[in-house]
Amino acid sequence: MEQATAPAPSGAPDRDGMSTKAKFFIGLGIYLAVAILLLLIFGNDGKNEEFKPQNEFKLEPWISIHLGSLDLSINKAVLYLLLASLATIFTMVWIARRMHQKPNRVQTAVEVAYDLTKNTITGGSLSGELAAKWFPFIAALFFWIWFSNMLGFLPLPTNTEHHFTLFGLEIPSFAIYAATANIAIPLVLTLVVWLSYHVEGIRSKGLVPYFKSWLPPGLENMSPIGKGAIFVIEVISHFVRLISLSVRLFANILAGHLLLLFMGGGLAVLLGIAALGALTFPLAFAFFIFEVGLVATLQAFIFSTLSAIYIGGATSATH
Amino acid sequence: MDLTALPLAEVTDEGVKGAGKAIALGVGAGLGSIGAGIGVGFIFGKEIESVARQPEMKSELESIRWLGFALTEAVAFYTFIFGLIAFFLS
Repeated sequence: MEQATAPAPSGAPDRDGMSTKAKFFIGLGIYLAVAILLLLIFGNDGKNEEFKPQNEFKLEPWISIHLGSLDLSINKAVLYLLLASLATIFTMVWIARRMHQKPNRVQTAVEVAYDLTKNTITGGSLSGELAAKWFPFIAALFFWIWFSNMLGFLPLPTNTEHHFTLFGLEIPSFAIYAATANIAIPLVLTLVVWLSYHVEGIRSKGLVPYFKSWLPPGLENMSPIGKGAIFVIEVISHFVRLISLSVRLFANILAGHLLLLFMGGGLAVLLGIAALGALTFPLAFAFFIFEVGLVATLQAFIFSTLSAIYIGGATSATH
Repeated sequence: MDLTALPLAEVTDEGVKGAGKAIALGVGAGLGSIGAGIGVGFIFGKEIESVARQPEMKSELESIRWLGFALTEAVAFYTFIFGLIAFFLS
């Protein structure tokens, strides 16, 4: 029992008479040998010019809608948007309708998430009336982004460019995409948050006092020029929030999908070296677990926490 | 100053252009990752230090840790995205 739980110190021989280090290097050697063997069997097909990795994120218009120069076509991103919204609404309504005294597993999970949004995210930066007022918005942001991120790791038949046939039916290839992997959607969410925290700040303090409150405390003895310079910096920082909040979510999800694409075979296809796939495919699994287990939830958490912090910062008495 | 006189605006060779894009993506994403890696290391290191000193603060530190982790990690992705823009969209 003790042997099983305590990790063998590196270099020390265990029962098989082989150290952990030696086992590790033998395993690594076999792994590399398999890859080299595959390289010798299948060879190098040369660089693949046809495969364009950026096409994975291309939005094919399914139903073309054009209003003047405005492109409102229904495409993959719109489908994901709808799916995430439906999943959010359906889960919440369904759980609320059939609440039990003895919760089942789904209800427990939703209750934990509800508690997280209410006490940790909203309660951490807002209090009292403001928290009650903004909790639905922040919780909706959290759940929507979470569902959107999670749906992004579920392969769905959305790649209309390529087809495969199953029992005589032409089915679009399975692809992964997320609504949040498109800059437009995080940017709109950010704009809503950005406008609402300014509106809430102006409402609670008044127009001029709100903008005055952007200046950090302790500048009473400063000359107006210095104050003006700091105010300009503060204005810039408020606009940078627009970029940082939206690009953080977008880039995390996009980078995750790109990593999965390249590790899960894209790199091997692009370079024409089939053996490379053997090396990168286990990494794809590792990254998939990392993305699903951590990044998807963490980004939803971060986005809603920062929204709450911004609203709290705009309304709090001291700066 | 006349900007068109600069040699930068005159690059028409596809090979040079492609090399520049590849360097932009590689160096941009690579250097960005170094900074973010150091930052994330600092956050987890300091958190371990704090928990070792005051184990009763563990639950409170947890949410701060993830907040700091995500904020720092995002820095790597900013450069990565700008590298991708340079590589694919320019």
